[in-house]
Amino acid sequence: MKKYLPWVGLLARLVLGGVLLAAGLLKYQHLDKSQMAVRAYEMLPISLANFLGIVLPFVEIAVGILLVIGAAIRISALVGGVLMFAFMIGISQAWARGLSIDCGCFGGGGQVKPGTANYLPELLRDGGLGLLAIYLFRYPQSKFGLDRHTSDGDQNNG
Amino acid sequence: MANQKPGKDNFTRNLVIAVVVGVVLIMLVPTVLSKKTNTSAKIPASVSAERGYGIVFNDNLKGVPVLDIYEDFQCPICAQFEKLQGDYIESLITAKKATVVYHTLSFLGPESVNAANAAACSADQGKFLQYHRALYANQPQENSGAWSNDVLGILGQAAGITSKQFTSCVNDMAYQGWVNNVAAAGAKANVNSTPTVFINGKEIDRKTEYFDAAKFKAAVERG
Repeated sequence: MKKYLPWVGLLARLVLGGVLLAAGLLKYQHLDKSQMAVRAYEMLPISLANFLGIVLPFVEIAVGILLVIGAAIRISALVGGVLMFAFMIGISQAWARGLSIDCGCFGGGGQVKPGTANYLPELLRDGGLGLLAIYLFRYPQSKFGLDRHTSDGDQNNG
Repeated sequence: MANQKPGKDNFTRNLVIAVVVGVVLIMLVPTVLSKKTNTSAKIPASVSAERGYGIVFNDNLKGVPVLDIYEDFQCPICAQFEKLQGDYIESLITAKKATVVYHTLSFLGPESVNAANAAACSADQGKFLQYHRALYANQPQENSGAWSNDVLGILGQAAGITSKQFTSCVNDMAYQGWVNNVAAAGAKANVNSTPTVFINGKEIDRKTEYFDAAKFKAAVERG
């Protein structure tokens, strides 16, 4: 069983990293909309929300690339996990307060027609990705990466 | 990889991390700066920086309601709004019954920026309302490539604009900095959807008042 762990790690890295990278790139195309998406959660002061709307895609892109190539896996997984946790808080509070917004997870964002928002699948997806992040933080060993605990053989070097 | 010396291994890894983080930071800084308001940007006729860089009609009227309309020329719902309420809003302007401020946002993509720039050029020709109408009447699919500056220049004819000055203003993207300022002001005003209408600084009811001619009129008259 132990020898499959690095492959599980690789899969987790590619899924979490790939999703973050895609989400970041899509938001990067439309930064005005990304800012709008963050504002629409009505959680942060407007100026901070606008700043976060610009910074967030860049963070996602950086963490996504690092996870895909397997460098700084633990720190990247930690950042990814914190992001997923924050997204889940944002979506839950929007749901609980009855806001009608597009989560803006993959670009898009802002208010939508009342009743058309669909929060449950988004929460489940972010929850799943959060679990992958926790797994990678706990077991960063994985195949084809640059980190030294990358393949199971050279763990002793650390 | 297991056979390599750990030191060398680490060097490659650290270099890769430094490059990824470095490149992202180098791209982030100018992006953050580009979203700031540029007070030295060229602004078209009848624009008021105090009114969020919007294009203003009846700026100096007193005792009338102020309508702030936030829109994106590529937004299909904005086209529906224009179709339903456009004539009424124009009648408010010509009858001097309201101050109307058009905020041409551009969050849907590059062709929204082109269209907003062209609209600013039309304001210089005194034909903003006509051009505004022509844009919505000829609205293509979002970012289909249809609204190139060449096409937007030709569209001026539909609004009765014939001057060469307009075409060169459109082609040079003369008001690109201003378009950016409008977007920044819209972000500060917490506009999260288009169209968004504020009457005397308060948003009207999204559920009922946008797409009902009578209720919209009542909201304007209530002030």
